[in-house]
This record gives sequence, C-alpha cells and structure tokens, in this order.
Amino acid sequence: MSAPAALWTGEPILLIEDEPSVIAFLRAALERKGYAVVNASSGAEGLQRLSNGRYAGVISDIRMPGAVNGAEVHAWIQKNRPELRARIILISGDTANSETQAFLAQSGTPCIEKPFRVQQLISIVEKTFGKP
Amino acid sequence: MELAVEAAQSRHLPEFLEQFARRAARMLDAVWGGVAVYRGRETELYSMAGSSDPTFPGGADWLISRALECLNNMESRAIPKEIAAALQFPGDPGTAVFVRIAASDNERLGTLCLFRRRKSLSADEKRLLHALASHAALSLENFRRFSQLERSKRQWVEDIDAISDYIVVHDRAWNIVRTNRSLASHLGVPPVALVGKAMSSLRQIAETGSDLACPFCQDTQRTREEYVAASAERIFLVSTSRTPGISDDDTRTIHVLKDITDRREAERRYRELFDSIQEGLFFATPEGRFLDVNDAMVRMLGYGSREELLRADVSPHLYPAPEAREKFLRALSERGVLRNYEETLRRKDGTLLHTLQNITAVRDAHGHIAQVRGLMLDVTEQKTFQSQLQRERDFNQKILNTTQSMILVLDTAGLISYANRRCYEAGYQESELIGHRLVDWVEGSHREDFDAALETTANGHQVENLELRVRRSDGSMGHFSISLSPMRDEQNTVNSVVVVMTDITDAALLQAKLAHSEKMATIGRLVSGVAHEVNNPLAAILGFTDLLLENPEVRGSAREDLQIILQETQRTKDIVQDLLSFARQRPVQRELVQVNNVLRQTIKLRGYDFASHGVEVAEEFEETLAPALGDSQQLQQVFLNILNNAYDAVQEAGQRGKIKIQTRRNAEMIEVAISDNGTGIADPQRIFDPFYTTKQVGKGTGLGLSICYGIVRAHGGEIQCWNNEAGAGSTFVVRIPVATESALAAAAAKEAGR
Repeated sequence: MSAPAALWTGEPILLIEDEPSVIAFLRAALERKGYAVVNASSGAEGLQRLSNGRYAGVISDIRMPGAVNGAEVHAWIQKNRPELRARIILISGDTANSETQAFLAQSGTPCIEKPFRVQQLISIVEKTFGKP
Repeated sequence: MELAVEAAQSRHLPEFLEQFARRAARMLDAVWGGVAVYRGRETELYSMAGSSDPTFPGGADWLISRALECLNNMESRAIPKEIAAALQFPGDPGTAVFVRIAASDNERLGTLCLFRRRKSLSADEKRLLHALASHAALSLENFRRFSQLERSKRQWVEDIDAISDYIVVHDRAWNIVRTNRSLASHLGVPPVALVGKAMSSLRQIAETGSDLACPFCQDTQRTREEYVAASAERIFLVSTSRTPGISDDDTRTIHVLKDITDRREAERRYRELFDSIQEGLFFATPEGRFLDVNDAMVRMLGYGSREELLRADVSPHLYPAPEAREKFLRALSERGVLRNYEETLRRKDGTLLHTLQNITAVRDAHGHIAQVRGLMLDVTEQKTFQSQLQRERDFNQKILNTTQSMILVLDTAGLISYANRRCYEAGYQESELIGHRLVDWVEGSHREDFDAALETTANGHQVENLELRVRRSDGSMGHFSISLSPMRDEQNTVNSVVVVMTDITDAALLQAKLAHSEKMATIGRLVSGVAHEVNNPLAAILGFTDLLLENPEVRGSAREDLQIILQETQRTKDIVQDLLSFARQRPVQRELVQVNNVLRQTIKLRGYDFASHGVEVAEEFEETLAPALGDSQQLQQVFLNILNNAYDAVQEAGQRGKIKIQTRRNAEMIEVAISDNGTGIADPQRIFDPFYTTKQVGKGTGLGLSICYGIVRAHGGEIQCWNNEAGAGSTFVVRIPVATESALAAAAAKEAGR
C-alpha cells in the first residue's frame, strides 16, 4: 500500500501509545522534523481526541492496555473518519502474534516494528502524512 | 369184602380195626389179636375189642418191636413174605403170628398180630391169614383214601375261607349256595347263616346298578364277567363265572369280589403324581412315538393337549436329528438304562428344547426293547446359560490371548502358575516361567519394590502402575508398567495374584519427547511475552541514541560511547528477533519440497567457507527421494543452522573436517542425517533448549537450534542429535513427512479449517 507521498495538512499528529519512554522518543523525533504531536496514552483516550479534534494522521501502538487496542482504533477510523483512512501508521512490538499478522495482512496498513531507527520512522511518516 | 366196605364207610378207624382184630383172632383160634398201623414213622397198635392188652407186661411194646422186626425181615426176605415167623413169647408157651398188611403198590400199611397157644399154622390157616391180610390192606387203603378226600374237602373250604376276597356262589333261583368266611364276617355272621338266603341280601356290599335279583350279575348269558363296582368306601373288582349244569340245580354262579380300593387309590395317586410333577414323564415306543405323557411333558413341548402330542404324526417333527435317535437306541439296547442323556427336541412352534433324560428300556421276552420310559428335564435355560458362559469364557480367553499386555497369575508365594499367550510371543519359554518366581525377572534394584507390591496384593489390596525394569526374554532390560490384583477364593481369602505387565519402554520415550515439546512450547510463550516487553524500552534506547547521534553538539568520546550503545542495542534487537522467530508460530508453507535440492542450495551458501577451510562435504543422497511436504525456506534455515554448527565443531576440533550428509526415505518420512567429525556435543539432551550454547559469548544467540526444533516440529517431523558412537563428532537427524496423498489431503484439510 505504498501510495505516492501524502500532502501535509498542517494539523497535529495524534500519537496513541501507553509507554512513556516511547512517547517521549517519538515526540522528540517528530517535533524535530517540524511535526506537531498530540498524544493519548490509551486507545479510549485516542478515540475521544479523534472525536473532538482534527489531525493530520494517527500513529498508534497495536498492543495497549485497556478496552481499545490499535486494531479497534483502526476500525473506528475506517468507520468515522474516512479522511484519515489512509493516514494511519501502526507500531508493533509483537509482530510474531498471529492475530497481529492477520490484521496487518488484511488491512494493508503500514506498520513499524519496535525497535526501529529514527530514519525508518521519519521516512514512513513523511510518506503517509506528508512533509511539513 | 363186607368189612372193607364197612371200613370205608366207617368214620372211625380204631373201631373198625378193633373189630377186625377180634374177628381175625376168633377165626384163627387166637387168644389175642391186634393190628399195628404205620403212619409215616408212627406206629399205632389197635387191640381186639374186649381185651385191652397182651397178657404179659410190656406186651404192646414187645409186639410192636417184633412186628417191625418181622416186617423188616420179610422185606429182606429172611422169612416168607406172606407170613411172618411164629415167635415164642418170652416166658410163655404161646406163639405170636405176624402177617404183613401191604397195599397194592406194596407199601406197608400195618401188621396183623395174633397170639395163639398152638405153635404151628395149618395150610388153611395160612391161606386164611393171607386173605385176612389182603382184606385189611384193602380196608386200610380205602380208609386212607376216604380220609384224604375228607381232609382235602375240609382243606378246600378252609382255603376258600382264607381268601380275603369275597366269594359267593348262588343258584339259578338267586339263592346263596355258599359264601366264604371273609364275606360272612364282613356281614358279621357265620358263613352257614347265609346259605339259602336271597342274593339281594348282599346288595349292601356294593352297588352295581344291576336290576337283577343278584346285585353282582349283569348279563346272565355270559359265562364270564368282570367289572368294577363301588360302595361308599370301597371299590370292588367283581369277577363272575357261570357253570351251566345239566339240571337247573347244578347251575352255579360264582362271584368273586376283589377289594381294589387301595390299588385304585395307588393308581389315582400315581396318576396325580404323574400329572403334577414338573418333570416330563413319558412312555414311548422305541421309534419315539409317545404312548403316554404327563402334563409337564405336554407343556414342555408346547402342545395344546396330551392327545395332540400322542398323535402318531408328531414324531417326525419332534426329532430334529433322527440319526442321533439310532445312536440313542443302540446305547439303550446295550445298557438298558441311560442316565443324563442329552437330547434336543423340537417344540410344536419349531423352537428347540434342550432336555436331559433318564431313560429305562422295557424289554420283551426276546430281549428286544418294547418300550422306552423316561423322565425329562427342560435344560434349555441352563443350556443357554451354559453357552453364554462359554461365550463369555471364549471372550475372556480372546482378551487374554490377544492383549498386548503380558498377564500372569502368581500364587501368594510369587510363583507363576499361568502366563497368557503374549508372554510366549514376547519370547519367554514356558519352562522358564511356570513354577518360577516372577521377581527373578525384575532388575535387582527393583526387586524389593516388587516384593513389597506382591505382599500388599496378598493382603488384599490392588497395586496399580508400578513402574519397574524387567528383563526381557532376549536379556535386555525393558521399562514395564505392572499392576497386581488379588484373586480370592470362596472364603474370600486371597489365593492368587493377577499380574498385568506392559512394556512401556517406547511409551516412556514418547513421554520424554512429549515432555520436551511441551517444555519448548512453554518457553516459546514465555519468550514471546519477554520479547514484547523488552521491545518497548529497546525502542526508546535505540530511538534516543539515534536522536543524540543526529545532534551535532555531541562530539568526541561521547559520540563513540553512543556508537557502542547503538551497536549493543542492535545486538539486543537481534536476540529479541531470534527469540521471537523461535516463538513465532508462523504457519509452514505446505508445498512439495525436493529435500536434496534444498540441501544442495544450502551447501552452496557455505561452499566457499568450507572449501577455503579444508572442510570436506560428502553427499550421500538417495536420488529417487520422494518430495517432502513443507516450507523450503524454513527447511533451508534448519539445514543451514546444522551445517553451521558442524562447521564450527570441526573447526574447533582442529583436524581435517569432514561433514557427511545422507538422505533416505524411512517409511513415511524423509530422513536427513548430517554428521561431522568435530568436537561432539557436551549435552545432546539439552542442545535444543533455548539459550543453550557451547559457543563463545557473543558468537551466537543460543537460539539457532531451538528455532530449528520449532520449524521441524511445525512440519510434523522430528529432529534428534547424538554423539557418534564410533569416532568423534556428532550426528543430527531431521525427519519430515513424505508428501503422500494422505499427507497432502491432511494439509489441505488443515488449510481449509484455518
């Protein structure tokens, strides 16, 4: 699903991730490249923010504690934010899980496996959300 | 002659003889006369009337003894037959004359004795004596005949009277001529009292329903009649004979009334018993046709009535096996009696009746069997029970003989008394089992355990799944699961022990493999969780290190340190990746794989290294090898891993390395054996455990073979390794299933079910 580089909308990126160190690193890496970042520390909070605001794209961890995981965030967006359908990047620490694999294969959503290099992250973000 | 007639008519012999003696004495001028009469051994002397005894003392005895003596002499012809000698009396001048009195058949009847004064007898006197003797003989004979007649007549009446049956004779006028005493005493009168009475007076004895004047006559035209008549208490068999006489006075009708009350009762009881007995009773012809049967017999054979069963045409239906019947007759003819003879008969409805019979043959005058009598028991149920028992026994026998377990019976002393077929199939000899102690087959260190278990069982408790090492018939030791059960006798005493032994050596191996794969699965789950948790901090470390390195303010030694952090983070990432790929249950691609080709490609990958380091690789491939079913990439990873290990091992050994790779088909498996002449493996049992490594720190993650293990297992195959017995080095064997049609179908089904 490698579409031509997306157009930057100027809105912040919604980061849904429960691990504070990972949030800190992602925020630092993205802000350094000129992106604005709003973060939610659970799937439920992410959905709440998505309902209330506008975002250039969503970066979400797949496996999170709580009722809503990455796959469900993805499904909610497909249904309620059609403009964000192609603007989702998933992060996974657990691609070995067969459920995760099945989900990724079926949705065609780009996914970065933890741990990853900054360059890997930036190139996939620029391609999916556009360059500021 | 007159005298003879007189004598015959006379009822009193002594009187006649006394008169005779007197006449004879007078005729022969004797002073005394007498007749000695012999009756058997007895002798009686009858003196002439008027004179009591001979005139001298003891005369009678003297005379009799003389008379007998003379008689004997006459018979021995010592003296003339007709007349005896004249004998001198002792002390008296007279003479005694003895004349023999003999019957016509010369039987001696008596002796005439005369006592005279004169000595000699004249010829006339002799003739006279002779005539007198003949006369006396005739008289005595007649007299005897008459008295015999008299006696016999009297006897006859007594005999008739002695008969307990009632006898009555009547004439044509229906008047009683005679009755016997039984009848009279039945009526409480002397027999004479009934003579002349009307026959109708006997009506009280028994009611016959006859309207004739005689209650016992029914048809006066017949000379013989026989029927049964009953009174209130008694039953009589009335037999009647009629003797038609010349005149009416001579016509006699004789009734004999036989009291058959008891016989009737006995018959009734017999019939009652015959009919009420639960066993079948029968009388039959030798051919098997029933002459009489009881009700039980009718019931047993399912007929509606006795008459139906007694019909002649029943027998062909009755005997399903006529040939057995002939055998039966032969046996019965030989022995006369058959006890517990088993015969199968056919009931009216066609079902079979199993019987047990006791049979007696009744023979005719020629010894042929005239009738067959017997008693019959219905043993169908027992027979069914018996056959059920037999079936059960067969079933048990089959189980005993076909089970894969060895089953033995021991006495309480531990000696083997029975071993099932499996024991012998396993190679043990009967001579080394029966009568020997089972414990002798148990490995020395386990004998105490076995003895303890035997004692527990002897005390009535079951021992289950005792695992012991036992010597097999070929001498090798096997791992056996042993159960002991007590067997009790009627008194509930344990008298033997049933031992069930199963060789679980293979099962134990399987158990070990299972335990291993379970361990691996658990490790897999653990690793997956750990990897995930490690990835988060690792992501932050790696990310921030990248960010720091991008920062131009970081310089010099700090930058170098960051490089090390980056490098080590990368290494950690690799470890976690390996861990994850070990734990990863990535589905195996199911495709046809030419294992030989995969191996050749793998060898090519390392070909340069092998060649440059002098490691020789020998390929011993089975060229017609069937394709396997699996994932060629994953299999390549497995083979590469093993080759790398082999390469490291031979390098370490420091000699000319040699790696041999063999392929072959073994049953439904493709077997790949890779052996080297390297250093061998310290612990082949643990080599597939994650993080088990013999390599230097940093050289490997210790996960390679664990991943191989996971891949091969996912293929439905197995991987093993051991140190070579001969020479150095170790061997790895990988087995993966051949792509058979069934394997392909199973794979397709699994695919569809996913």
